[in-house]
Amino acid sequence: MLDIGFAKSVLPKSGALVLLVEEAETLNADLLAQADEATGLAISRALVAAEFKGKAGSNCTILAPGANLSRVIAIGIGKLSELTQRLAEEAGGACVPLLTKEESAHIAAGALSAELAAAVATGAALRSYRFDRYRTKEKAEDKPRLSKLVVLAGHPVKAREAWVPLKATVTGVFVTRDLVSEPPNVLYPAEMADRCKALESLGLKVEVLGPKEMSKLGFGALLAVAQGSEREARMVVLQWNGASGEAVPTKGKKGKVAKIEKTDNAPLAFIGKGVTFDTGGISIKPGPGMEDMKWDMAGAGAVIGLMATLAGRKAKVDAVGLVGLVENMPSGTAMRPGDVVTSASGQTIEVLNTDAEGRLVLADVIHYCQENFKPRLMVDLATLTGAIIVALGHEYAGMFANDDGLAAQLSAVAEETGEKLWRMPLAEAYNKQLKSDIADMKNIGGRWGGAVIAAEFIQRFVATGTPWAHLDIAGTAWSSKDTATVPKGATAFGVRLLDRLVAAHYETK
Amino acid sequence: MKLRIGSSAPKAVAVALPVPLGGALPDEAEAAARVAGFSGVAGTCCEVRSLGQVLLLVGVGPSPTEASYRSAGALAVARLGGLKRIALDARGLLAGSAAAFALGAMLRGWTPPQNRRDPNPEAQKLANIDLLSNAPGIEAAWSNAEAAWQGAKLARDLVALPSDVLSPDGFIDRLEPLRKAGVSITVLKRRALAHEGLGALLAVGRGSAHRPRLVLLRWEGALETPPVVFVGKGITFDTGGICIKPADKMWEMRADMAGAAACAGAMLSLALRRSAAPACAVLALAENAIGAEAYRPGDVLTTFGGKTIEVIDTDAEGRLVLADALGWAVARLKPQAVIDLATLTGSIVVGLGHEMGGLFSNDDALAAYVAAAGEATGELVWRMPLGAGYREALNSDIADIANCAKGRYQPDASHAATFLSEFVGEAAWVHLDIAGVEAREAADDRHAAGATGFGVRLLDRLVSQRFEDPHRA
Repeated sequence: MLDIGFAKSVLPKSGALVLLVEEAETLNADLLAQADEATGLAISRALVAAEFKGKAGSNCTILAPGANLSRVIAIGIGKLSELTQRLAEEAGGACVPLLTKEESAHIAAGALSAELAAAVATGAALRSYRFDRYRTKEKAEDKPRLSKLVVLAGHPVKAREAWVPLKATVTGVFVTRDLVSEPPNVLYPAEMADRCKALESLGLKVEVLGPKEMSKLGFGALLAVAQGSEREARMVVLQWNGASGEAVPTKGKKGKVAKIEKTDNAPLAFIGKGVTFDTGGISIKPGPGMEDMKWDMAGAGAVIGLMATLAGRKAKVDAVGLVGLVENMPSGTAMRPGDVVTSASGQTIEVLNTDAEGRLVLADVIHYCQENFKPRLMVDLATLTGAIIVALGHEYAGMFANDDGLAAQLSAVAEETGEKLWRMPLAEAYNKQLKSDIADMKNIGGRWGGAVIAAEFIQRFVATGTPWAHLDIAGTAWSSKDTATVPKGATAFGVRLLDRLVAAHYETK
Repeated sequence: MKLRIGSSAPKAVAVALPVPLGGALPDEAEAAARVAGFSGVAGTCCEVRSLGQVLLLVGVGPSPTEASYRSAGALAVARLGGLKRIALDARGLLAGSAAAFALGAMLRGWTPPQNRRDPNPEAQKLANIDLLSNAPGIEAAWSNAEAAWQGAKLARDLVALPSDVLSPDGFIDRLEPLRKAGVSITVLKRRALAHEGLGALLAVGRGSAHRPRLVLLRWEGALETPPVVFVGKGITFDTGGICIKPADKMWEMRADMAGAAACAGAMLSLALRRSAAPACAVLALAENAIGAEAYRPGDVLTTFGGKTIEVIDTDAEGRLVLADALGWAVARLKPQAVIDLATLTGSIVVGLGHEMGGLFSNDDALAAYVAAAGEATGELVWRMPLGAGYREALNSDIADIANCAKGRYQPDASHAATFLSEFVGEAAWVHLDIAGVEAREAADDRHAAGATGFGVRLLDRLVSQRFEDPHRA
């Protein structure tokens, strides 16, 4: 990650300088006047010539303006009074691609509050992510060089304090982006579980269940998805007990589930779909675009990054993350369309399409989660349906919830973090389409409303009374273009959203 | 189908009786109900034949609502529709509940207009319904419900008609009941359309021998307020044009005028119940055909108001005719609210299936009223997103906007709504994408098969709940 520092706002003696310029009659920014004077008004002349007005989203680069500065970058931030945390992040992110030739840079944020200065740092850090471990022949001059960023703040001490938890969030986001970016031959269930284990160093309690343990627990649905692959399935339980200090004994290995009562101190539960590669199975997908299916574990990736975040910033909350990890392959041992599988809840499922496998994985993990943890609430994340992409595109993830309060909290933090959610319906009329002639349910409904029907399927495994939200992130887990704080590729959608949910509503003071 | 209000059942006629959960049963039916395990659960019924006549007990559940009685009426017809005459026993119910019971029965009893030489042996025979009620105000309550029924029936009949009969002019010919009810009808033909500058509507209709029309329906009402305006997509047949659709299920495209039909039906309802609210409907009627004059992908059209559209796909034609109709309606009618209805995208069917229509809006208050009217009438809508995030996909290199995004698996419903939002100016506006809910493949206990008339009762209720109060804020 970028090395981020904070210092008092004084004009740097050399190097690159980023100015955050307010949109106003006369351009206004921290250090603008000083830099302008030092360069003999070269900066203001250049900005006028470039018709730069400080509009949010605009920028202007001035090379070697004098005063020993290698470059000055003006980033428009709109009206200062309207600058939100999200807009500050976007401003911070915007300068990163303009600084690839610099090794270090200063951002003048002296006009911003300490929180907003830290948000600028967050945006820059988020945007600087690059997954390049498989590029062996890239020339040094082609690699982005930026490694250090100093944010010049009005209150550098306060800004540094505000940055500490945000740095943990960025680190968590990078955990997720790494996992999601890894190719499927490298990242399979056991490998992903090992990477979870490595997070114990953060103070997480990590437990890994293999096929034997899951078989004893009756995970017939999850294991049916995994049975076509050489790669064994895993379920990983990551616990962070920042409020109580005590982890719940999971007893999974004995094939029995602990009976505990639901209390106000019950943990929050986050559940992720982790299909490390999804061929579709016997109901195989078409070839073009199938490579995208390496990120069919992005829900699990987000849950793991979220747990790393909570531990990293020592959040005062009890939370548990559960991820179901499988590879969905066609083979002689693969599950077939027509198979009937028995889930851990005892409900039977007629599999009509082996490519509707994510919900099978979630069914068992969600059931286990409730039996073992009696959670205060559950949020699951899954790259679940193509239908949600046709409905909402890449703008919003679909949110399905059985609880208006939880849905409202999620919508609010979605707006704040820019990880946007759109609520979609749940209704009996969709649920009916899951009726099977020979089992308790089918795993698909009709051709239409597929995302809603999938959510209804999952809801059948959610105990009544547990507030639950399902986030269908199929359209938002991967970005085909750069945005202000997310470079093209794995977005880690959900990590910042749920981290903020926890911070805003569920941490003890 | 005729409905008569009376106080007692004619002899030897089957009677349907609504029963709340755990409610009292007629003595003579108790034994049969016990054997059948009937206790009044909503959606269940029990046919008692031991009395020498048919008594159908219909469950309405605990604390029944208007919707429960509507569903019960539908279930009664689903079970007894094979008879020529039935009675609905609503004695003891309030007028509103009795009227809902009857309305549910009428809606479920609708069958499409037939074009047969030989009678259909399987046709539903139901012709007469006796509504038994002694509730004060039942005549007025039924008269309101009947207005909604007549509007829904008109819309359904129009949707069911084949497109050789129901061309744009054929559609207009069938608006006579509106004129009789006091609605004025103005038709803009080609020369007027050209004069007004409705270039998109003209382009879509150019490939067909049946020429496009813009119809203005106006109900004066009694209040001195600007009108509420409905705008309907009326593609009387949609081949897709040069971007032709696959043959599979293309026949369903005769229903691609369901939005316009719903608007016309709603206007009939308002007029029949003498609504106080001034209301207009603007129907954009055209056939999207293939011909030597047909418009092409790549063409640039100039709409009413001057904004230009690059046509990426000629099968995204609904939004083109609506762009003109919406722009024209807003400029010429100065409405206080605009609601358009259109069988617009396949994308909305992927999103919401056949259970709900998609609601898109630039006005939260109006959106909430529309959603509430949908909830009240059982014509459910779900709000979906539009706006800046979807606009970029509609950028054109040579025109103001493109009519759709390139490539497959696009969120086309949101793209289409975002597209339309640019033609409504500052007006408070709701767009209902009713593709997927304009017809039902099969009948069930609550719904007739075929055209639904979706939107008619929603709009009628919206007007009565929102636009008829002279003192509203």
